[in-house]
Amino acid sequence: MEIKIMKNILDRNQHKAEEVRNLLSSKKLLMVNIISSPGAGKTTLLERTCEVLGPDIRIGVIEGDITTDRDAQRLKKYNIPIVVINTEGGCHLDSHSIFKVLESFDLEKLDVLFVENVGNLICPSQFDLGENFKIAIVSTAEGDDKPGKYPMLFREAEAVVLNKIDLIPYTNFNLTNFRSDLKMINGQVPLFEVSCTKGDGLAGWFDWLNNRIKGIILTREVSQVKNL
Amino acid sequence: MHEIRIAEDLSTIVVDTAKREKLLNVTKVNICFGKLVQIVPEIFELAFREAVRNTPASNAMLHIEILSVEMRCMKCGSDFHLIDNQYVCKRCMSDEIKIIQGKELFIKSIEGE
Repeated sequence: MEIKIMKNILDRNQHKAEEVRNLLSSKKLLMVNIISSPGAGKTTLLERTCEVLGPDIRIGVIEGDITTDRDAQRLKKYNIPIVVINTEGGCHLDSHSIFKVLESFDLEKLDVLFVENVGNLICPSQFDLGENFKIAIVSTAEGDDKPGKYPMLFREAEAVVLNKIDLIPYTNFNLTNFRSDLKMINGQVPLFEVSCTKGDGLAGWFDWLNNRIKGIILTREVSQVKNL
Repeated sequence: MHEIRIAEDLSTIVVDTAKREKLLNVTKVNICFGKLVQIVPEIFELAFREAVRNTPASNAMLHIEILSVEMRCMKCGSDFHLIDNQYVCKRCMSDEIKIIQGKELFIKSIEGE
């Protein structure tokens, strides 16, 4: 006997992700899922972002790590709410773990919630967390072939950050090849070529992100006026 | 290693369905993956075997169908097949592309008695 099912295997994760999305949308809060390999610069990008946007925008962070709270410790100095999820071996975050930690935040007091996913270029791109969009970070030390090798992430990302451009002279990273590969995979995605440690190129990233966050804040203000 | 989590979720669906349909022995599980999901069938098979251990599906054969990546140009409307990672319209060269197949991850059916 054959029983037809025709169902998304990750249905459970998808349903919870929609619940997260609806909750955050009702609070007019932006959630950004940051995905990269280990060591590409997710935490450093968050540090720079907290320094520059932190004074004007209320930031919260969910730190996904297999073990330890070292990334969260690095962000502590910005006095922002941070919650750590240790996956204990799991190579990605899922929507259930995100939903569970949302109650630790005062969502009314946040404009943006960054999720630093577990360092991995494949698995996190398969699991919707309920975010507004994904950001892919890749660093020059990893090589210029990453968009071609991991097309799903670079297709899904709403922006790509190429970090550690200051190291290019010391690597065999070919910027022309990287740009043309990325263009072939996702010709519409904005690319920010930056050095998070030196500060090069970050202004463009801050502007782009700021506009996205301001867009959300504006919709909140409009709906508050409507409710008056 | 997202194969492990996906195999676990698949096992839950298979076991729940078998229970609901009163199947004592699931003989085959038919699933479909899009190429973009980057599942390694051999790893998935191992993860699935582990996930269904001691369930009515412990001896089930896993049949995996891999779907190619198909796209639609949002500018000229033509459909085309992905070749060499080029997400660009073959006809008008636009990069306004929508993936219409290749991201699937679904269970089609189970067989059993």
